[in-house]
Amino acid sequence: MKENLYDKLVAYIVENQAKFYRLAFSCVKNQEDALDAVQNAVCKALAHYEDLRNENAVKTWFYRIVLHESYAILNAKKRFIPADDSYYSEIPYEEKRYEIHDDLYSQISRMEPDTQNIIKLRFFEELELSEISQVLGMNLNTVKTKLYRGLKALKIAIGEEEFT
Amino acid sequence: MKEMEDAKKSYENIPIPAELSKRVQSEIEKANAVQKRKAVQTRRNLIMKKTAITAAAAVVLLTTGLNTSQTFAQEMGSIPVVGSIARVLTFRSYETENANIKISVDIPTIEMISTELSGLEKGVNKEIYSFCEQYAEEAQARAEEYRQAFLETGGTEEEWTAHDIKIKVRYDVKAFTDDYLSIAVIGTDSSSNAYSETKYYNLDIKSGKWVTLPEILGENMQAAEENVRSQIAQREKETEMEFWDEDWDGLDKDTKFYINTSGNPVVVFEKYEIAPGAAGQQEFEIVK
Repeated sequence: MKENLYDKLVAYIVENQAKFYRLAFSCVKNQEDALDAVQNAVCKALAHYEDLRNENAVKTWFYRIVLHESYAILNAKKRFIPADDSYYSEIPYEEKRYEIHDDLYSQISRMEPDTQNIIKLRFFEELELSEISQVLGMNLNTVKTKLYRGLKALKIAIGEEEFT
Repeated sequence: MKEMEDAKKSYENIPIPAELSKRVQSEIEKANAVQKRKAVQTRRNLIMKKTAITAAAAVVLLTTGLNTSQTFAQEMGSIPVVGSIARVLTFRSYETENANIKISVDIPTIEMISTELSGLEKGVNKEIYSFCEQYAEEAQARAEEYRQAFLETGGTEEEWTAHDIKIKVRYDVKAFTDDYLSIAVIGTDSSSNAYSETKYYNLDIKSGKWVTLPEILGENMQAAEENVRSQIAQREKETEMEFWDEDWDGLDKDTKFYINTSGNPVVVFEKYEIAPGAAGQQEFEIVK
């Protein structure tokens, strides 16, 4: 039974690695860190596969680990950048860069992390809202509210059925 | 929603580096090796039963894991041992070498000479045969995993060859008296002494039955157990090691023993079963 679950997890990872990479890349924004994040996520998932009680939850469980590892890398980096540098270079640099091609994707990338992730998971990875609430460990209503507010900020109208 | 579809396309256009699958694959292989090691460990734990024993064994494993010294009992020739009622023959003997893992197996078989007892040996021969084959197979699988892990962690083929892993299954006729035929079937794996496994088969020639220790000792069981306990205490003093006899449940029908040439049962505790690994296998003769 357990071995079976392990094999399924390995198959799932191999099949969906490109998706994990994109999600990680959209967080950390560079190839090397995205590769590290995916690699760490695979390592942790396989080491703790026994924690995965319900094999149907493998998708949300794994996205959760990928996001966790991506943010772990981002946070670790923040600590190594001296405060002065980040004050002068980081913020102005990003704004200039995104103004050049200011499409919806770039706008999403600049949003607050939770909202960003909800939109990415909902529209790019096509997860159900209930699945997103599992991935982010967030109340379903909070997910709905943040999504609604986020889309409003992006001035995107979507059908009411998204919120039922 | 057109804009969102475009955004999705941008997202999907994030290029996937070729390195991704390599990185993922290497993690999977590492995890697979861990999985296999865990499976082996579970099996070893079953053999050794007690966690304290396992901890001691783990230390020994680390220190002797690469040691290829052999601790075999003297090799038995292939000359059949002949008695009046039964004889022991080498049923099958083979040697193979696979990826520098040497395997040699001698499977004994017992043949009843007396016709009235013939048929009795079949079950036991089958059991001996499957024990030998299973041991050889498991030891080989273990050695191959070890080899793979060794190579993956930066070892070279030459270094692996130097390990010179040998797996042997042998048998040893402990006694062939007028009353008893006693055989030990011994499996050894030079990658680690912790994997050695021995089974004993004791045949009461007069009744033609495979006997257990309670059957031999009868009402002397209690006295025999006390005798073994006092011998253990004695040996603790001699070896200056602490034995784990308080965890020992005493003699019962599953107790491992063979019969020596004087016709006395000898109780056997495998390495780590009752004493630290350094003390080795422990044997206590019960003088009737």
